[in-house]
Amino acid sequence: MSENLTLPRHLYVHVPLCRSKCAYCGFYSGATCSSSIPEHGVTLGLIRQAEGWLRRDLPAAALDTLYIGGGTPTVLGGGLPLLVASIARSFGLTEGAEVTVEANPDSLDARLVRMLPSAGVTRVSLGVQSFEEEELRALKRPHDTGQAKRCADEVLSAGLEISVDLMCGIPGQTLESWERSLGCAIELGCGHLSVYPLSLEEGTPLADQVEAGHVVLPTDDEVATMLEHAAVALASAGLARYEVASFARSGCESRHNTAYWTGAEYLGVGPSAHGMLSVRTAEALGVAKATNRTARVRYSVPADVCEGLESDPPLELEHLSADEVLREDAMLGMRMAAGITDELAAMAGATGALSELEDDGLVMHIEGRWRMNPSRWLLGNEVFGRIWLRDRV
Amino acid sequence: MTDPSRIRNFSIIAHIDHGKSTLADRVLQLTHTIADRDMQDQVLDSMDIERERGITIKAQAVRVMYDADDGHTYQLNLIDTPGHVDFTYEVSRSLAACEGVILVVDAAQGVEAQTVANALMAMNANLEIIPLINKIDLPAADPERVRHEIEEGLAIPAEGAVLASGKTGEGVRDALEAVVRLIPPPAGSADAPLKALIFDSYFDTYRGVVALIRVVDGSVTRGMKVRMMASSTVTDVEEVGVRRPANMPVDSLGVGEVGYLITGLKDPSLVKVGDTVTLAKHGATHPLPGYREVKPMVYTGLYPIDGDQYPDLRDALERLTLNDPALVWDPESSHALGFGFRVGFLGLLHMEVVKERLEREFGLDLLATAPSVEYHAHRTSGEMLTVHSPQDMPDPGHLERVEEPFLKVTVLVPPDYVGPVMELADQRRATFKDMQYLSATTVEMHYEMPLAELIMDFFDQLKSRTKGYASLDYEYIGYRESSLVKLDILLAGKPVDALSFIVHKDKAYPRGKVLTEKLREIIPRQMFEVPIQAAIGSKIISRETVRAKRKDVLAKCYGGDITRKRKLLEKQKEGKKRMKSVGSVEIPQEAFMAILKVDE
Repeated sequence: MSENLTLPRHLYVHVPLCRSKCAYCGFYSGATCSSSIPEHGVTLGLIRQAEGWLRRDLPAAALDTLYIGGGTPTVLGGGLPLLVASIARSFGLTEGAEVTVEANPDSLDARLVRMLPSAGVTRVSLGVQSFEEEELRALKRPHDTGQAKRCADEVLSAGLEISVDLMCGIPGQTLESWERSLGCAIELGCGHLSVYPLSLEEGTPLADQVEAGHVVLPTDDEVATMLEHAAVALASAGLARYEVASFARSGCESRHNTAYWTGAEYLGVGPSAHGMLSVRTAEALGVAKATNRTARVRYSVPADVCEGLESDPPLELEHLSADEVLREDAMLGMRMAAGITDELAAMAGATGALSELEDDGLVMHIEGRWRMNPSRWLLGNEVFGRIWLRDRV
Repeated sequence: MTDPSRIRNFSIIAHIDHGKSTLADRVLQLTHTIADRDMQDQVLDSMDIERERGITIKAQAVRVMYDADDGHTYQLNLIDTPGHVDFTYEVSRSLAACEGVILVVDAAQGVEAQTVANALMAMNANLEIIPLINKIDLPAADPERVRHEIEEGLAIPAEGAVLASGKTGEGVRDALEAVVRLIPPPAGSADAPLKALIFDSYFDTYRGVVALIRVVDGSVTRGMKVRMMASSTVTDVEEVGVRRPANMPVDSLGVGEVGYLITGLKDPSLVKVGDTVTLAKHGATHPLPGYREVKPMVYTGLYPIDGDQYPDLRDALERLTLNDPALVWDPESSHALGFGFRVGFLGLLHMEVVKERLEREFGLDLLATAPSVEYHAHRTSGEMLTVHSPQDMPDPGHLERVEEPFLKVTVLVPPDYVGPVMELADQRRATFKDMQYLSATTVEMHYEMPLAELIMDFFDQLKSRTKGYASLDYEYIGYRESSLVKLDILLAGKPVDALSFIVHKDKAYPRGKVLTEKLREIIPRQMFEVPIQAAIGSKIISRETVRAKRKDVLAKCYGGDITRKRKLLEKQKEGKKRMKSVGSVEIPQEAFMAILKVDE
């Protein structure tokens, strides 16, 4: 029964460290006992936990994608190439595997950049957010625009692909300053961009400032205009929207992220990392018992730095039924420009909702696939919600 | 049966919050009717809502035995009356069962509108009035000033007013001595055929309707056959008894006595407040005076938010009506809201209390449309139509005239606030009648105004414009012709029946304008532009637009975000559930009450 099963071909590693906390960050990167764990301790812990999966009862498959995210992986310094190289060696990588590390301009120096390709890294995702000094300060980002540009140059000249994160809706941001940031990113020659609006997380310093009236955010309409302009500017620079918040030159799409949106299995390693397994894989790995109510298991590693770095951490599980799996796949698939097949829509019971959404002009039905209407991407939640909840008007 | 000379029947009347229920508690304690260890606050207010809001909704009667200073033991029947203008008729029937009242006035607040209204009712009923200045333990107490207000404003001699504190119990014995000394014993004939007044009733699941009665003539005995004169119902007396405050059966009740009567009748509409109980054969020829059919004054549509709760709402209304025959309701349906009921209430407080009980005691989630009154629509054909809901108002082309209920409104206010009251009254189509100084600190103003204006948050406005000082009382004076039109609200070009309302012609334009603006703020942006229009017939008088939503929350969605994303979508849907969709437009519940909060 398990003869065809292997470990997932996608692996995510979460580095739970940051040099400082950004004003908008609601993410748990607070190091409850990081002072007691030196950076190399984190590196070794992550490697141990990743390799722990290899000792279970399933053969490994060479990784097609490996993604080191965070937090700020570059805070590991020399530990970062070690982490990538160790995992690449123990799991194996497919020919042409995509190996991404997230980096912050302030902690990615030229020396570190040069070490990445030989460790196996093919791609750097640079957390730029904005090319305007004022806006970076408002976000309490620890870098400046000079650092960001220099970093990007170094990454590109090291022969690595580069993706840049840009954020709109930043306090003080205007349509003009947004277009300048977009222009900088295009000029750098990056093949991939993630573009998304700032989301205000409760309890963050920025949310408190906004609540107290010390900081004013651009309005919803202004943000909508910014996102619309971004799509136009990026398209004319040859970067197509292949997912709600992702733009790429042809061939530069993130294969790792695409795995998330197309129902592929992936492992997650490190504090608060998530993984997704079919119930058969989960059972073979001893993660969960198969029942006839469960078709897919999502798990998360404890967020606590000590517990989350254990080699065999307790996993928190979420079970999804076969029906939920189909609806989830349909919902996530619609995030992508390619959309979903008629077949998946029908199995997910979403054809009715999609037809209504088509009447409303939000989605299109072309050549046996359902996909977002490219001019209505900003109302994606309406579409995702109605598919997931099988909601008919 | 007790010798009538040893019986005193009295009521305690007061403006809201002047301490009536606490004083009643002290009386029960002092007479050992309730052991100290069983004492809880506001014993006679048995509903949670009564205790929380500090109001009395149902009348109560309790018998206490009091050892007076003259060495005799007296049977005192304390009849606790509802404390709100919505229940004026019920109060008048409770008072009719008494020979006297204790008029409670707060030692700090002084005479207020309901103090005056209650005192007038007691005077009209020819009752002995014992003024009692309560809460003398308060730091702000000024009994001398209040004594003066009672004498000046109410023309009631107050030099002998009882000074008391319900909180400390001080003066409570003095009050009971005054009851024995000043309130006359009941006069009635033991030999005449039975005449007993029903002054309230409640429903007991096992026993059926329990009537609270006061025997005027004759006596009522278990096993007797009796007749309810107004409802012409003949029935057996299963049980009579007294309330202490739990029911205690006795063999019979004689002249002047107060107690309860159980007949086995299960239909509350046959046991009407104000009706007279007499003998089935050779009974009294004339009933006691004052009986009236209770008529609702305010109507609203009540709809379950979740349409599946419709049968539950009907059951709940049926059950509430058993204890509250003043509640009337009829099924109603709305294109916008689905199936619900048009429910008639005695007044706004009654409406609020009933809605709250339906939600709290029956677990229902309800949407109430803006309250309306009963209009008399006279058609050109000469036929008169009673209209409880704006939806039922005939087409203007077929209308000769429309009449609406008017009130006589009394406002008591310190002289500094006369201006703001006049301004408010002016905006509410109120006609000034007269005004007089009750004392240096209190002015009494009289107006006549339509009930429809009063139910549009008039009381809240009055309170806020007078920093809470004004008090209000009103009585119904009859129907008068008004120039009224039906204002419709259209969303996305379609009229939403539940948002229609009836308004004076001169106010239609400003109110339509404010309401459309208000709705623009309340209705969230949707996928399409939503025009909001106010119209009279086919004429659009104002228009606003809710612009189309341009974006919903968009974020990155990577491996760890997926579960959170799903939950977010579910939460979003929950939020929508609390809205009503009318056609393609999602309307939050508060939109249906927006009409009430409109100040042009």
